[in-house]
Amino acid sequence: MIRKPILAMFASCLLLASGTLFAADAAAPAAAAAATEAPAAPPPAPVAPTIAVDKTSLDNGGTITITGKAEPGKPVVIEVYNEHRVGGSFFDSKPDKDGKIPYKLYLSKDLPAFYQILVPTSQQPVLDKFKKEGRGWSYSAALKETGADLAYLNPGKGPMDSFQASLMATILGSRGDLLPALDDKERVKRSMQIMKGRYRSVGKLLAATVDQKEDGSFTAKVKIPDGSPDKKYVITAVVDKSTRSEPVTVENKVSFPVIYMENAGTSLNIFVPFALVFAIATFGVLMGAGGGFIINPVMVMLFPIPHNIVAGTVTPTVLFSQGSGIMNYSKIKFINWKVGITLGIAMLAGGFIGPALTTMITLDQFKSAFGWILFVLAALMFWQTTPGYLAKNKKEQAIMKEFQKRAAEAAKAKA
Amino acid sequence: MIYMHINFWGQEFKVNLVVGCIGAFLIAVMSSMFGFGGGPFMVPLMTVLLGLPMYVVVGSSLLAIFFNTLMSTTKHYSFGNFDLDLFLVMFPAAILAGYVAPMIAKRLNPLWVKRVAVLGLTILGLSLVGVF
Repeated sequence: MIRKPILAMFASCLLLASGTLFAADAAAPAAAAAATEAPAAPPPAPVAPTIAVDKTSLDNGGTITITGKAEPGKPVVIEVYNEHRVGGSFFDSKPDKDGKIPYKLYLSKDLPAFYQILVPTSQQPVLDKFKKEGRGWSYSAALKETGADLAYLNPGKGPMDSFQASLMATILGSRGDLLPALDDKERVKRSMQIMKGRYRSVGKLLAATVDQKEDGSFTAKVKIPDGSPDKKYVITAVVDKSTRSEPVTVENKVSFPVIYMENAGTSLNIFVPFALVFAIATFGVLMGAGGGFIINPVMVMLFPIPHNIVAGTVTPTVLFSQGSGIMNYSKIKFINWKVGITLGIAMLAGGFIGPALTTMITLDQFKSAFGWILFVLAALMFWQTTPGYLAKNKKEQAIMKEFQKRAAEAAKAKA
Repeated sequence: MIYMHINFWGQEFKVNLVVGCIGAFLIAVMSSMFGFGGGPFMVPLMTVLLGLPMYVVVGSSLLAIFFNTLMSTTKHYSFGNFDLDLFLVMFPAAILAGYVAPMIAKRLNPLWVKRVAVLGLTILGLSLVGVF
């Protein structure tokens, strides 16, 4: 009597157990199937955009058309950078919140030699607004407002040095005390300031050319101007922080007489600076000043070469003409070594300090200071054309001729 | 101590060292910072402020600025402010100009060259300070 219900219970338990077992067996493949079909809908992870370019190589610049597809409704920004690396600097001399001036110099040698982020065409008014701000525009604010900050991936990754500048350090001819390494966030922030100092204009760093349709497909154009660096340009489309396309590369070819100048970060037809320097230096010799006064400002105005590179490269150029001048004057004994060396030592000290200051000023400060130097020089030149000066000069020229005659005779007598 | 006596072709000159050294130092800072020689500033310093005649100054000022250029070249180089390719393009052009200019100089009136220079420098200066 009692056995029956027990048996029944046992049987039902068994049935239940096997039922759940069976159910579990059946559920397993279903779950596996659900796992493989999961990305279809609804999507837990966004789909990376795809991009293609209309050409794989350029000949000293050109326009690249980028086409691609992203998810509908997700705006795309595109980063374009060149693989060549160049240097740049930013000197922080703006008072902070407490009114203290930091006097910090940030230096990077790991900036792309060409850099542009393409933003949607709808952002054109934002870019125009920043263009109107003139020299003082903020790159970081422009990146943020246009959404381009998502694509700001390449600069600011590499090493960056920062220095605490001080009057004493400058007198000692150094850049200052090397500060501890910057953290990632700070490095990215400073890299934006350095990039802005190097490329300066809104139009160079940002372009509103991404034309995106409702279905998510887009086309964009990037203009690589002539004179841009050669080798690889890497293009990446970005939707958000973790979603970006595979990079696509385009090769820019430059051929002789156009060459890429590594430190200047620009490609130049070598005959252009050659002819320019020849013409300016000739005029410089004629007017009695070296060519450096005109070569430096003209170079920074015409070519996208940083002012510190121009100054540092023109300086050794004049060294040799000075050396040959000294040789010629010393042959006819027209150098007073005592006064020349005494003043020379004072100048040696000055030459120790000046180059450290070149990187601390911006290109705009370089230009305007140079403008004033040229006004002073023009005034000096004008003074040399006044009758009083000419009369005095005539007398001294006569004495000089007399001395030169005597020097020639002395040399003859010796021989 | 302040004055240095120099002898040039049998003539005696007295040079104020304080004025000379401070002036030379400041010109050197400026010229090395902006990348030019500095001759046109040294010549008036030595003729007007130090009272030396032109014939002493032409060669001696060149010697003085050579020190500055030598130092600023090494400093600029050590800071990485140098592009070899650009130098190799500019250097022969400057040397060539050094040969060609004296040939042209004989046919030109130096007064007019100076006048053109005044005009050219003023225009360049105005465009640099952003007037146009």
